[in-house]
Amino acid sequence: MLRSIKTICVGGLVALTMVSCELEQEVLTGVTRDQLRDNPPAELAEVLKQSAYSRLMGDGSFGGHGGFYSYQEITSDEIAIPVKGGDWNDGGLWVRAHRHTWNVDDGELNGVWSIPYRVIAETNLLIQQYPDVEALVGEMKVLRALGYLWLLDNFGSVPLIIETTTDPAPPSNTPQEVFNFIETSILENVDLLTTTNTRINLNYWTAHMILAKLYLNAEVYIGEPKWVEAEQAIDVIINEGPYSLAPNFFANFATSNANSVENMFTLPYDANNAGGFNLAQMTLHYESQKTFDLVDQPWNGYAALEEFYNSYDDDDFRKNGFLVGPQFELDGVTPLRDDAGFDGDPDGVEVVFTPEINELEPNAFRQAGARVGKFEFAIGAQPDLNNDFPIFRYADVLLMKAEVRLRRGDPAGGLPFVNQVRERAGVPPFTQLTVDNLLAERGREMFAEGWRRSDLIRFNRFGAPWWEKPASNENRRRFPIPLNQIQANPNLTQNPGY
Amino acid sequence: MRNYLQQVKALLMVTMLLFATVLSANAQSREVSGTVLDKTMGEPLPGVTVLVKGTTRGVTTDLDGKYTINLQPGDQVLVFSFVGFAAQEITVGNQSTINIELDEDIQSLQEAVVIGYGTQDKKEITSAVASVGVEGFNKGNFTNPQSLLTGKVAGLNISSPGGSPNAQPTVRLRGISSFGANSSPLIVLDGVIGASIDAVDPNDVETIDVLKDASAAAIYGTRGAAGVILITTKQGSSKKGFSNVTINTFGSAEQATGLIPVLSPDEFRARRPATADFGNDTNWRDEILRTALNGTTNVSLSGGFENTTYLASVNYRNNQGVVKNSGRETLNTRLNLGHGALNNRLRMNLNLSFTDTEANDVPGEALLYATILNPTMPIFDNSPNGLLNGGYFQPSGFDNNNPVALINLRENQTKVRNALYSYRAEYDITDDLIVSAQFSQDILNTLNGQSRSRFDGAPGGGRANNGTAQQNTYDRVNTILSGNLRYEKEVADGLNMSILAGAETQLFNERGFGAQSRQFLFDQSWNNLGAGGIRFGENTNLYSFANTSTLNSVFGRANFNYQNTYFFSATVRAETYSGFGRENQTGYFPAFSAGADLTQIFDMGVFSQFKLRSSFGVVGQLPPSPTLALGVYGNGNRIQLDPTDINTAWVAPRQVSNPNPQLQWETTTEFTVGLDYALFNGKISGSMDYYQRNISDLLFEVGVGVGNANPFDPGNFYTAPTIWANIASLNSAGFEFLMTADRVNLGRGITWTPTAIFTIYKRATIGDIGTGGLQLPEIRRGVPGSPGVNNAQVIRNIEGERVGDIYGPRLEGILEDGRTILSTESPDEFERLGNALPTGDFGFTNQFNYGNWDLNFILRGSWGHQMLNSFRLFYEGDGNATWNSVITRNTPTNPVISNAPSQISDFYIERGDFIRLDNLQLGYTLPTKSPAISNLRFYAGVQNLFTISSFTGVDPEVRWTDGGDQLAPGIERRDTYFIPRIWTTGLTITFK
Repeated sequence: MLRSIKTICVGGLVALTMVSCELEQEVLTGVTRDQLRDNPPAELAEVLKQSAYSRLMGDGSFGGHGGFYSYQEITSDEIAIPVKGGDWNDGGLWVRAHRHTWNVDDGELNGVWSIPYRVIAETNLLIQQYPDVEALVGEMKVLRALGYLWLLDNFGSVPLIIETTTDPAPPSNTPQEVFNFIETSILENVDLLTTTNTRINLNYWTAHMILAKLYLNAEVYIGEPKWVEAEQAIDVIINEGPYSLAPNFFANFATSNANSVENMFTLPYDANNAGGFNLAQMTLHYESQKTFDLVDQPWNGYAALEEFYNSYDDDDFRKNGFLVGPQFELDGVTPLRDDAGFDGDPDGVEVVFTPEINELEPNAFRQAGARVGKFEFAIGAQPDLNNDFPIFRYADVLLMKAEVRLRRGDPAGGLPFVNQVRERAGVPPFTQLTVDNLLAERGREMFAEGWRRSDLIRFNRFGAPWWEKPASNENRRRFPIPLNQIQANPNLTQNPGY
Repeated sequence: MRNYLQQVKALLMVTMLLFATVLSANAQSREVSGTVLDKTMGEPLPGVTVLVKGTTRGVTTDLDGKYTINLQPGDQVLVFSFVGFAAQEITVGNQSTINIELDEDIQSLQEAVVIGYGTQDKKEITSAVASVGVEGFNKGNFTNPQSLLTGKVAGLNISSPGGSPNAQPTVRLRGISSFGANSSPLIVLDGVIGASIDAVDPNDVETIDVLKDASAAAIYGTRGAAGVILITTKQGSSKKGFSNVTINTFGSAEQATGLIPVLSPDEFRARRPATADFGNDTNWRDEILRTALNGTTNVSLSGGFENTTYLASVNYRNNQGVVKNSGRETLNTRLNLGHGALNNRLRMNLNLSFTDTEANDVPGEALLYATILNPTMPIFDNSPNGLLNGGYFQPSGFDNNNPVALINLRENQTKVRNALYSYRAEYDITDDLIVSAQFSQDILNTLNGQSRSRFDGAPGGGRANNGTAQQNTYDRVNTILSGNLRYEKEVADGLNMSILAGAETQLFNERGFGAQSRQFLFDQSWNNLGAGGIRFGENTNLYSFANTSTLNSVFGRANFNYQNTYFFSATVRAETYSGFGRENQTGYFPAFSAGADLTQIFDMGVFSQFKLRSSFGVVGQLPPSPTLALGVYGNGNRIQLDPTDINTAWVAPRQVSNPNPQLQWETTTEFTVGLDYALFNGKISGSMDYYQRNISDLLFEVGVGVGNANPFDPGNFYTAPTIWANIASLNSAGFEFLMTADRVNLGRGITWTPTAIFTIYKRATIGDIGTGGLQLPEIRRGVPGSPGVNNAQVIRNIEGERVGDIYGPRLEGILEDGRTILSTESPDEFERLGNALPTGDFGFTNQFNYGNWDLNFILRGSWGHQMLNSFRLFYEGDGNATWNSVITRNTPTNPVISNAPSQISDFYIERGDFIRLDNLQLGYTLPTKSPAISNLRFYAGVQNLFTISSFTGVDPEVRWTDGGDQLAPGIERRDTYFIPRIWTTGLTITFK
């Protein structure tokens, strides 16, 4: 009896040891990191590179709602999301963005942080994986620098994470350190980049554009202007680059704009392969689905501020980039109806976009506000548009050139550049260049392209009051480190004022 | 040792006796014969063992219950025994004919409790285990076995919000047990671990045992953390040569109840502007609702012959939903076969079941729009434009759709086929040592098809896509091979021991496939995806996946019973799971429990049992996918290297989930003290339990800073915004109470058997969230959604606080113009408004018997939970996006609230406390003398007769999760299916 107990116990012990043998976990879906490194197919490096770029798109990036782009536009004086009764209140998030009263825990701020960083992560992995492919490493370092430029612009102090970083909770670097990192990354690698007009990848010219943007805003970023360096970078593009203004302004924003002579660096959005450009959904009225025969119902959100809309001359060709007035179905004659609107909408059930917005909240009329029509909305479009989104555009370079001339005390020298842009828009040339008229011109030209917040800060107008927005504190020039990030990394330093 | 000697002695004596018997057989034998009858049924019992006491000589009764036995001089007593009946000893004396009647041994049947890899006598159990048999089940039209237990087991909350025939209930044992891993108890069906619940029809269930505490569940190791529900199906009768055919059939009529009140067309006209009047009178809910007429039939054939028992059953259930076009049809067949060979020393069991289910669902929005839509709108529209919408009127605007069109122009069908087979063999190596092995396979095939007609004119619907169609499959095969040794022995005087040692391998395989296309010239349901002209982009899809993983286990258990007074049990299970990180693949899960029945020691007066017990155990929980520990590169974006050449298109491999090679099981340790008591010789009995549960290393998909170095996988970076990690701890406690009285005589022949249970929960508190540099002092969840409440979370799970706290501003007043004043608009100043999890559950079951009549009903409820009433949040304010027709106490016909956006506040948080008459059944058993019929019972009943609650939404049932998110409880969504009241009538007939 005792023996049998003993046997059972011993047997049990043997079994307990047996069970602790390691089990191999097979991967049937996807590949492992080892597979990726051991025997890579020839196309892999190029596919991974384009994949890293593709992470610039989607989830609230340029042209999408609820992240990076929303905070560049809604915090500016060009676009707002009026709250339409129950719709678009969203916990007050967008009203706070408009009024510069955002909170540290406003969840969508996280996208402003994570979109650049996710690209940075992909570039770091690629630099790790192909340390010897010089051109690729150089290009990835420049792409990484672009990510840090956006982070510097939005947050100031951020941690510099590079391919060798292992600290999971790195402390914030100072804006000066981030600035220097971006500058060095580009200066050291710019010559490795192609001079071909690649558009969807960074090249020698667009690397200079990053540098130009960095220097142009140097006073904001590090308190020290670098107009000379900015102008040098700009001149490389203007004097040696392959770009020119497209005769038709709207060609740059058309559904098929991949061959624009003016667009320098674009996000190649694609309804099927690279989604995230949702501007039609974001700005159009629910019923506008019938105007464009859209696959999905739009959300009736983004609208231009009336004052901004009115800043265009009536004969400004670019003013056609707004949707205003009565709206019709695809046939162009049947008026759009909204059977479920509010009591008190002066236009009744027919949908008429008015430049005037009665109030920001709580009961903006559902038809109020000029809509963003600058980008072509193709008939039958899916919610993800096919238009490529321009990040860098030659018109911007010209306006930047005008600006550095002005800043360097030579407004007359800047006039020809700004007037190239005005001429294309069909408006009379400026006879003199001032800070005010240049900022306004930048606004009209660059509307809805994601640069307005940065421009307003550089022109020291970000804190000024405008429609439904009181004057705001200088601390608001930088967003707070989002709550999620502070929680994930307690070594980050929160920005002043939050 | 002394025992061993005794055995030798016994063996010697038996041998000698045998010799003596043979020698004396010819000389002085005499015969005794007779008939053995079943006392209750009055019928002959075949197969009864008739043994001369103290010898091994015996015979069995024949088909007619007759026996003849030869007696030797000195033979004095005959023992009549038969499984399931109380043995009887008869002193022979001079009788030559002995006819006896055996009584069913109800006591012994009830007391055997299934505890995993065996049974245990209830009086020996020292952990928290509850057992419910057929008699105790809920009575009514239930499509799944779990619902049989609703309100029956203290600590077990079974919640089925809404009344969709396709909804599976949410089952929570002792409250929330995880953040991100499975929180539903492990189902063990006839020994098959993790069996599909589809495999068993409620009608075939014999008993359900619930292993409530970690000590009892530890035998199931890494998957026992949420408790274990052991389902045992009915077996054939071992009465030789018997066969019974039982037919149970019932029909039910179901109607929706508890509808949210809405404006009549005239009231709507009075309240809304003239432009909102479309000139019709439509009751939208009448248009989509119906009286559902349903039928269920169960036929079972059971019996036994020689050494074989069998049960074959066919169960057919047809359950239409109260919403047109929704419903469920199930055909389940089962064969349970038992066979004993080698003098019953080798016992073999085969369980086979096959289930075929077809479920049809309607879009949830249809339920929403049927409630809110303008009642002056027409249903149909025969204008040219209307014909493009299939002849249905399609309202314009936002959040404004025709529910009749939605339920007719959108299909969502799911076909589930499940085959479960298990073979078990047991062999008695000696009388004390049993070896057993079990092999089982659980095969689940799921096919889901969806389509939206090209006439579905709702925004974003089929028409905008010219029709969409998709098919999705999900197939799973779980294979288990298990073996164990059991040793049962009286090791010393009065000390009984049973030991179990076993090993098990489980293989999990799953795969799925799906495709969606759009743009069809003709609607072809989802039968012909190839007819869709567009196969890329929005509303199209193509994917497949497969996973495999292995779980190896060894386990052991020892139970000791000293003189039926002191009890002790120890369990350990060790498991290795392939899906964990390399260093953490193996876990050990020990448990101990002990108890003492004080009535055996002291004179406790009226108490016939007073068993104090205490237990401690450790159990685990697996992560939801086996590859989370590995850095799997999944599918990133589709990259076309040359935009003009489709041949250059590739899918970029991307680390779509961050690897965590340190991932391990989550660990639950639980301490229980309990009391099992019985008074007045078992007339009143019950139990009480107090438990404390601590869960550490909670598995959770936690947010990380994209771009940061991954501390779990040095050299890697976070490329996805979340990682699965062992992140936090949870502490909870509770008190469970059960009391039942057996057939209390109320006079005039009426007996009453009441059973009361209640549970008091101390809600789970979240401890130290963080690991490997990750901190997460607060997890916000629960977004009410569109329109207008998209970025506002209602639920905050904060370190040091309870799971499921509801946060928001307080409503401080309402202005004259109907605008609301809130305490704050800033989320960081929101206050805790309540908690979404319950603090108590109760169930009060009553059974009355009078002659051949029986009446059963159960009152059930939960209390302490608060809920967000979404209908009020979105549609009470008059300033919302749609001219809706919802009536609440604040918007009768003249709104109090107006011009306010839908903003969360305490105003929309309501108490969910409720009492519900869950089910009631009246039955009459017809006395029958028919030779062919042994039992005939008619019954009629009702489910959901009434609910008492101050909650003004659809259903106050506890919402444990929000679409599976356990950190967002307490939100009643606007698409909650209407709850039906179900009237049932049926009969059960057994032919012999």
